[in-house]
Amino acid sequence: MKKVFVVYATDNVGTVVLEPISVGDRVSCNGERSDLEVIALADIAYGHKIALMDIAEGDTVLKYGLSIGSANCDIKAGEHVHAHNVESNRGRGDLADRAAVAAE
Amino acid sequence: MSEFMGYLRPNGDVGIRNHLLILSGTVYANGVCERVADTIYGAVPIVHANGRCQVAPDLRVTRRYLAGTAMNPNVGAVVIVDHFKEEGMTAEDLADDIAPTGKPIATVNIRGDGGFISAVEKATRYAQDFARQISLCQREAAPMSRILFGTECGTSDTTSGLASNPANGLAGEILIAQGGRMLMAECTEWMGCENWLTEKAASPAVAEAILSGVQHMEARALASGEDIRGSQPTGDNMAGGLSTIEEKSMGAVKKIGDSPIIEYLEIAEAPTKSEPGNYLMYGPGMGAESISSMAAAGCQVLTFCTGGGHTSNHPIMPTIKVTGNRQSFELMRDTVDVDVSGVFTDEITLAEAGQIVYDEVERVCSGYLTKSEALRDNNSFAIHRVGPSI
Repeated sequence: MKKVFVVYATDNVGTVVLEPISVGDRVSCNGERSDLEVIALADIAYGHKIALMDIAEGDTVLKYGLSIGSANCDIKAGEHVHAHNVESNRGRGDLADRAAVAAE
Repeated sequence: MSEFMGYLRPNGDVGIRNHLLILSGTVYANGVCERVADTIYGAVPIVHANGRCQVAPDLRVTRRYLAGTAMNPNVGAVVIVDHFKEEGMTAEDLADDIAPTGKPIATVNIRGDGGFISAVEKATRYAQDFARQISLCQREAAPMSRILFGTECGTSDTTSGLASNPANGLAGEILIAQGGRMLMAECTEWMGCENWLTEKAASPAVAEAILSGVQHMEARALASGEDIRGSQPTGDNMAGGLSTIEEKSMGAVKKIGDSPIIEYLEIAEAPTKSEPGNYLMYGPGMGAESISSMAAAGCQVLTFCTGGGHTSNHPIMPTIKVTGNRQSFELMRDTVDVDVSGVFTDEITLAEAGQIVYDEVERVCSGYLTKSEALRDNNSFAIHRVGPSI
């Protein structure tokens, strides 16, 4: 059993801070929540995040109990969560432009 | 309510150290200051590259840094040395700024006092008298509510946002619950977390000031020709697992806890309020400039959270290094004070880590030497520039 660290009780991702994770590993949590267990669907390196539950497209990815961005596709529990499937919601000039076009 | 043993100053401030400062007014007085400090027991030289050919707004910030450092409660007495007359920042100007604290002050002017050798002699005699005078100060019990607790992070890694920073935020909450105040600067690292901060602002004016501070720092960065937002998180941040700017900034701002933000300060400016809670200050991410601005604002003690390990230490404000990276703690065992990496292995909870950090702060306030103090590695006095040399 590998462990990932969860920094806040409402988080839906955990961070690899001990051993790196390989596909198929059983993964449990320590830190502020210990109730979840998932099977890793990807290799996940030190410092990177794993989804602790299914996160639907558009849902908020929570770390520190706060939004670190939104899922840009459905993310399954056990998947690697990183820039390929989570998008920042801050400093997005491109989104502001789209909203302005939509409003016209 | 816990107490610490500190030095009561004439203006009611309480210091946790009793330093004699040999303060250089300009770069050209540094040599005299160092020579005096070499001779006198316990004297600490404050030397720097500033004080000449600065535009007025920049010189005003330098003056706040220098006067504020001398006004810090950890300083018992001050000898100020300048080399000639710098318009707007002579030794007398600095002495006027410091005078309301009631601490002993002397000024020496290298030209006016007859050159380097005479200035060293005169300053050394003042310093000898002051060193003996402040040696009579005895530590006495004071409530922890008198502490202004500064916090900084540097050489951060994945562990910083998960262990040392949130543990530090919890330590701050323990102090605030006893009536104390916590100060955080580095507004570059508030970008992306503005909402989390403004939600805690004690008034709309404080919230507005926080937002304008971040915008100002961002504009300053953009004026350099580099779009930092386009490169945040950086490539190595992302390789390390940080996905978005929100995630990166959140790790940094978690150095403070959930208490209200009482006041927003300009760089190196002392709080005007005494209410318990968090205080934010405008300033850069550059560690030495940032912690020096917090010492100038009156912080008696500072925690420096670090992932990679760090040597930073301010000359008069004990700088407690905290890491969540066990390997860094092992490598930097002689300068990193506190290891909270046990949160990752279930040896301690985050709440326990917060208590461990707080307990170390309280001990250091009563006189326990930090590792860097014991090494006398006073490497982190630096002044933030807001204008060019002319």
